[in-house]
Amino acid sequence: MISAYARRRAVFMFAGCALGAILAVAGVVLLLPAMDGPRAPVPWAAFLVLAAGLVLVAAAGAMAVPDAEAAQARRIIESMPGHAWSADPNGRFTYVSASALRFLGERAEVLGPEPDSDEFGWRRVVHPDDYDRVAARWRHCLATGDRYDTEHRIRRADGVYQWFRNSGLPIRDRHGRIAGWYGTTIEIEEQKQAEAALLERERELTHLVEMVPSHLWRLAPDGEPIFFNRRMTEYLGRTVEDLGEPRTGRLEALMAAVHPDDVAEVRARLAASLGSGDSFALRYRLRRGDGAFRWMSSRAEAMRDREGSIVQWYGLCHDIDDQMQVEDALRHSESQLRRLIDTVPAMIWTAAPNGTPTSVNRRFNEVTGASLGDITAADGSLSLSFIHPDFRSETARTAARSFATGEPYHMRYLQGRRDGSHRWTETRAEPFRDENGAIRQWYGVSVDIHDLVTAQERLRERERFLWQLVETLPAMVDCAAPDGEPVYRSQQLRAFLGYELEQLDGTGKSRLAATLDAGVHANDLAMVKACYAHSLATGEPYACRHRLRRFDGEYHWVETRAAPMRNLDGVIVQWNVICLDIDGEVRTREMLRAAQESLARASQAASMAELSASIAHEVNQPLAAIVANSQACHRWLSGEPPNVERAKVTAARITRDANSAAEVVSRIRALFRRTPGERAPENINRIIDEVCRLLAEEVAAKEVRVRLELAPDLPCAPLDRVQIQQVVLNLMRNGMEAMEGVPKGERVLGIRTRPGPDGIRVEICDAGAGFADIERAFEPFFTTKRSGMGMGLAICRSIVEAHGGRLSIEGAAGCGATVAFTLPTGEGDAP
Amino acid sequence: MSNGDEIVFVVDDDARVRLGFSELLESWGWRVETFATAADYAARARPDLAACLILDVRLPDISGLEFQAQQSADAHPPIVFVTGHGDIPSTVRAMRLGAVDFLTKPVGESALVAAVRDAIGRDRLRRQARSERDELERRFATLTPREHDVLPLVVSGLLNKQAAAELGVSQVTIEMHRRRIMQKMQASSLPELVRMAERLHVPVRHSRRSGHS
Repeated sequence: MISAYARRRAVFMFAGCALGAILAVAGVVLLLPAMDGPRAPVPWAAFLVLAAGLVLVAAAGAMAVPDAEAAQARRIIESMPGHAWSADPNGRFTYVSASALRFLGERAEVLGPEPDSDEFGWRRVVHPDDYDRVAARWRHCLATGDRYDTEHRIRRADGVYQWFRNSGLPIRDRHGRIAGWYGTTIEIEEQKQAEAALLERERELTHLVEMVPSHLWRLAPDGEPIFFNRRMTEYLGRTVEDLGEPRTGRLEALMAAVHPDDVAEVRARLAASLGSGDSFALRYRLRRGDGAFRWMSSRAEAMRDREGSIVQWYGLCHDIDDQMQVEDALRHSESQLRRLIDTVPAMIWTAAPNGTPTSVNRRFNEVTGASLGDITAADGSLSLSFIHPDFRSETARTAARSFATGEPYHMRYLQGRRDGSHRWTETRAEPFRDENGAIRQWYGVSVDIHDLVTAQERLRERERFLWQLVETLPAMVDCAAPDGEPVYRSQQLRAFLGYELEQLDGTGKSRLAATLDAGVHANDLAMVKACYAHSLATGEPYACRHRLRRFDGEYHWVETRAAPMRNLDGVIVQWNVICLDIDGEVRTREMLRAAQESLARASQAASMAELSASIAHEVNQPLAAIVANSQACHRWLSGEPPNVERAKVTAARITRDANSAAEVVSRIRALFRRTPGERAPENINRIIDEVCRLLAEEVAAKEVRVRLELAPDLPCAPLDRVQIQQVVLNLMRNGMEAMEGVPKGERVLGIRTRPGPDGIRVEICDAGAGFADIERAFEPFFTTKRSGMGMGLAICRSIVEAHGGRLSIEGAAGCGATVAFTLPTGEGDAP
Repeated sequence: MSNGDEIVFVVDDDARVRLGFSELLESWGWRVETFATAADYAARARPDLAACLILDVRLPDISGLEFQAQQSADAHPPIVFVTGHGDIPSTVRAMRLGAVDFLTKPVGESALVAAVRDAIGRDRLRRQARSERDELERRFATLTPREHDVLPLVVSGLLNKQAAAELGVSQVTIEMHRRRIMQKMQASSLPELVRMAERLHVPVRHSRRSGHS
């Protein structure tokens, strides 16, 4: 298969060798003389000749590598692991290595271009999926002379396709026209498979990189971003390329997406990592495509080559925004909690299950001045040094019991303060238990309740004070509802009455009515009830004096006063009642009055005695003289001899002294002569009222009931008010005194006025024994009473008569007496 | 009956009563002097005779009782009170202070005369006792100072020897003094001298006394 070309080449080779040898020899010859001496100009031509000769020899030698070598080459080709081929410029195979034909099980002739078709014969062995691509390429190469290089599957003789790499290079003639193609077909099945596996792996990796729920990126050693994974791209809304052309500030563009607050640190940390090669880890906020910043946890590690220089940085950004939000919220809530714990106006502490204090809040320290260490004893137990000594033992006991049993702890004690004072503090602690019920921690809170406690104490003290005040007031205090129902009675009143308020309930009566019915003296009951009714109806203060039954059944005079307590709207909310036992006072006054009366009587008696003494003296003196003289006279006359002269003198003295005595008597009579006082028109009813008031206490003391029947519209009478008062007073007293022996309930003193024919008639009737001897009643110095001058009625009569009226006594002995007197009105009646 | 060496003083503000009493008492033979007031009585010189004072309780200047209380018992004769109206407390008080009687006007003749007699009798005894004492004092005054020293020793019952030792003199001297004292005091015996010393309130120097006290 030696071609014409080969032959021509052989010829050319031979001629070249020969010419070259000649030229080379000639060159040497020319050179030699030049090298003998220093003849400068010539050697270049000799060199040129020599060189040309050598080149020619070499070229010819090379061309001569001979056809002999062709066979050698074919052997080499045939034995190489692969197939070789050659083709003419039309693609018709000029040579196909035997191994290839064996592999294909085809002949070389059928592999070339098919006649009457654009297709190639090797179509039958190339995988149909590859054929069009390969054929197109081959046609292109045939047309252009481009290097042919394809990979495609070829069917083995047994029908199994294997991957091959088919490469071919054109050979051109000296005109540059393609003379033919030489190529090799090398099996790359394993390589292909490895490649496929690699591809698969890469695909998987890429998939991984793209799909991993994280943002991945790579940076060049200088920090320039060179890769973003899809998520990163999606996040940023930009690809790495969008950041800019390489080396034109991609990093800066990326930094622009970092939150302004974080960018400085990111730069610093990144610069540090890039400089040192240490791994980078930072949390920062990165702007998302939509402009929202999200927290990213970013990490990057340097990848180094064998020499240890950094090839690139692999980085990862993990979106931790949600986590950060949670953490933030957590941190926030934690700080809130801490702030709460520190600022809550209470001292908060925790302790281990055994009671060892584990923490105190800031306020605890601020308030007590004690730190955690200060409240921890040397043995780890709770130190009580900050508690007032009086409470330490109790607190220690309580705390020990709680820590031992898990019972909630509760104590009130005086707790020390920073300034050394102690204040009331309430401490409570509860155990926190795990799911098994074991105590993990004690949580305690101490609250300063000093103001509360002291206020309560003050309040209690005040209440106690008020209570004691009310209870110990030497007065009986009573509080009643607006309707008068008693709701509270002081100790004094309860003790007086001898029963508790509650005992009145269930009697069917109201408390008030029950109290009044049970306690108030029957004679006063109607008046008291009327008084109460009036006050309750009108809201006017109540004041009344009456007798009230004491627990022992004795009636005491009391003065009861009540005043309404009103709310802001003026509505009565309560009646406050004070009840004073004035029995002593009343009795004292009565006794005083009695004493006064007896004093008056005594002074009356004294003045009587005085008067009588004076009268006696006045009368006795002349009498004494008369007696002495008459006895002397008698002796003078009975003497021997009788001394008549002296007897005469003596007798004359007797006469004189007797006249003197008579004069004394008439002087005394003159002394008793009465002269009427000033008179003015007066209403007798008014005078009677006045006297009744004057005698009110006496009337009550003597338990006499006064029944007044006073005629209205009586005309006025001209009278001496004081004298007539004296008359009424005298007659009333007489009446009351006359009833001393009468049973209490029947002591009624009636006073009646009415107009009569002789003017006004006043009658005073008692229920006493009456007058036994009416005529003697008017005699001066006549009296049936133990005390008194016996002048009363006589004086009364003389007063009345001086006024032109008459005084008379009516009623028989045993059935009361009526003393009546008349007073002329001055019109028609002669005084 | 009565003689002129007795006198009755009447103090009463009422002239009629004064006249009446003096008339009656004179009819019984007594010499009578009357005074209108207590001050008048006290101021006037009165004859030194056995006397009686009839005093009205009610006087213009001073009550008779007050007057009695003011005077020492020796300064006035026994008093017979006369009053218009007597009362028990004043009577008791007057009697306690030594009044002879308390009579109510008008006074009965017999009661008045009996009271006056009683009073004058008392006054007589009193005057006698006083004159005896005056005599003793006169005699006592004649003793020399030395005899004044010896007398207490003698009446205290000391023996001559003891008295001599007491005064630092001889027994003979004491004996002499004692004799002189007995003479001057006109004592007939030692017991009489002791009684005289007692009335003169001569202090007894020793408890050991001879005779009865």
